[in-house]
Amino acid sequence: MTSSTGISVGNLLTDDQVADFVINGYHIVEPQFPADFHSKVYSELELLLMNPGDEINKAIPKIDQVYEHPAVTGALASLLGSDYTRAAHRHCHKNHPGTRSQAWHQDSLNIPTLDDGHGRISDHVQSVLVMYYPQHVASNMGPTALIPGSHLFTAAGDRNASHGNFRDQIVAVVPAGSVLILHYDIWHAGTANTSDQIRYMVKYLFERASESTEPSWNHDSENDAHIFERLERDEAALIQRSLVSKRNYRRTTMWNNLAGNAGLKYEYRDKWSGEWPQPNG
Amino acid sequence: MAVKQRLLYLSAQSTDPRSPAISQALHEPVRGTISEIDPKRTSLDYETVHDAICDGWRVVHFPDQRGSLAGSEIDVFGYQFVLEKLEQFDD
Repeated sequence: MTSSTGISVGNLLTDDQVADFVINGYHIVEPQFPADFHSKVYSELELLLMNPGDEINKAIPKIDQVYEHPAVTGALASLLGSDYTRAAHRHCHKNHPGTRSQAWHQDSLNIPTLDDGHGRISDHVQSVLVMYYPQHVASNMGPTALIPGSHLFTAAGDRNASHGNFRDQIVAVVPAGSVLILHYDIWHAGTANTSDQIRYMVKYLFERASESTEPSWNHDSENDAHIFERLERDEAALIQRSLVSKRNYRRTTMWNNLAGNAGLKYEYRDKWSGEWPQPNG
Repeated sequence: MAVKQRLLYLSAQSTDPRSPAISQALHEPVRGTISEIDPKRTSLDYETVHDAICDGWRVVHFPDQRGSLAGSEIDVFGYQFVLEKLEQFDD
């Protein structure tokens, strides 16, 4: 079964998967390819004599197949609308053995006509980073680290430089061929490669072309109360209480921006009734 | 041998030193050592700043009580305490 835009309905995300993305800022896809597909991509990357920059897809056309796989396009259509576009910017990160960890950062295209160099949008999904790993990434091979939920906040890299390790950081230890879809504003970092193998990561950028008028995923309005509760209650990474209201507001606004006319509508409900607290044991 | 300062940056969920720690960075007073994100780490060394104090760390900087509030354009996670231990190190 396909949607009106030709994308298989079976590859679209569910309400809970979209809520996961809104809450955490990432989604992992493992598109199925022949067993040797990713090792061939790795071998072709090894043969590149220089960094082709945006033209990595021309240097190795196979890579486009990953980003055009139905499991990937279904997830992208769910998050960006079915008319999403591929941006001109692409990059292959070559992480050599001995490479040190990056500092926590939000990506930026350093656009000189914007006062923060990019234009953070903390309550919508306007663009996503899509990272493809052509080899298995073990914990000592420089996996990408990220802070769940941090896409909802605007960071200054220099102010965060003394944080080091976060209690709730996630590292992308993933099998070969994994595709990590990130909200553009998530705080992330490449980590140290202490193995003896080069770790490649190819990054494409995809963008929203139009505002949503309806959910572009497998939506069922029967789930609305459940989703509302998740957006209010689910923890991503531990943060201070003074940021929780801002976090929940941005989660709800992001969901509603994605859902168009099927947005969540707030109604007061008693959240405090129930059993009395028990005496301390 | 010389007495040198070990530095531990611990960010907590609030200005209360018994609130849960959010992040940690340890800097050893030895040239060539680094402090960076450890992808194998599954927990922090201390659950709270108070736990670190009980282990002999001494607070040398208390967090600014102005946190990220409504209207802030830049958000900072947690409230950062800086702690030290003075120990003997080989030069």
